[in-house]
Amino acid sequence: MNTILNPLYIAVSWVIVTIHDLLSPIFSANSGVSWSLSIMGLVILIRVLLIPLFVKQIKSQRALTALQPHMKEIQKKHKDDRQKQSEEMMKLYKEHKTNPLASCFPILAQAPIFFALFTVLNGIGKHPPVAHGVLTQHDVDSAAQATIFGAPISSTFLGTTNSTVKIVTIVLIAFMSLTTFTTQRQLMLKGMPKMDSSNNMMLQQQKIMLYAFPVIFAISGVNFPIGVLIYWSTTNLWTWGQQFYVIKRNPTPGSPAFLELQAKRARKAGTPDSESSEAGSTEPSSVEIKGQRSQPKKKKKK
Amino acid sequence: MKAIVVGLIKIYQQWISPMSAPKCKYYPSCSSYAVTAINTYGLKGLFMSVWRLMRCNPWSHGGVDYVPLNSTNTNEALSL
Repeated sequence: MNTILNPLYIAVSWVIVTIHDLLSPIFSANSGVSWSLSIMGLVILIRVLLIPLFVKQIKSQRALTALQPHMKEIQKKHKDDRQKQSEEMMKLYKEHKTNPLASCFPILAQAPIFFALFTVLNGIGKHPPVAHGVLTQHDVDSAAQATIFGAPISSTFLGTTNSTVKIVTIVLIAFMSLTTFTTQRQLMLKGMPKMDSSNNMMLQQQKIMLYAFPVIFAISGVNFPIGVLIYWSTTNLWTWGQQFYVIKRNPTPGSPAFLELQAKRARKAGTPDSESSEAGSTEPSSVEIKGQRSQPKKKKKK
Repeated sequence: MKAIVVGLIKIYQQWISPMSAPKCKYYPSCSSYAVTAINTYGLKGLFMSVWRLMRCNPWSHGGVDYVPLNSTNTNEALSL
């Protein structure tokens, strides 16, 4: 197992150490700011690397607008057979070589990195600190004593009596819960195509998870070093921001956000509202721009 | 063993998967493919499921992809 994970430890620790070395002249080598920002930098790097995949997905979602008449036809034809409906839908995507679904890859790709980071940070939290990857003993000693808002980033809620650590952990857990909650809620309310009654059970489960998440975070969060919580919070914040951007600018066809955007575009283009409300399938680009007035040309006098 | 793996997948389907927007590129989804494959083929089914999960990536176009059936197992697989 270690032979598989060792390259990951090296990669993760190398990124952290490199960012840390870059930040040291600004925030000093032993400060919690340098170490915390290094962890956040790792998150940002991973998410930036995943952006091309994300853009690819958005592009295929856009291409979907063109397929909407076909999709509506399928929905109508197999109204009572959800299995047939999904089957036909997948066939349609494949035929047009555009699949709007993201696949599990973005999550699966991040999981080993999270695991490696967890091990590296957990090593820093040990007494005495254990070095993984390219971290030297000097590095881990420096990171172990580094504090953020007065709490050592290597400490855990359960492993200390220090009340500052407890408060910082609680704040971070609250932040993680809040970002996950908002991300989930936003997706449920605006990001997904409206569900019919046959999906009621799924909707119910989503609601339960929405409220179960803070509890899960609280239970697991008290066992994690503050550094891991920083990583987690940053990831959540990024996910929220990314989703916010997509829902506003490139919503999934058929979702409430999509209709909102179309209505907005239609209003901007000057078409009457009655038209935009019934047209879920109008191409925004095909809407004619009115109100453009050409300048009268000056006539030449004789 | 089989029951544990299938049980874990069912927990995923029931509780974890609904939290995000549908994202599988295939029909049936990778998780239900895995349930059918493991129930039908056992360990071989597990490898088939891993292979399916690997095929479901950003560069694939997805589509309809059922667990291949051999005649003796048809009934069990169809009941899912």
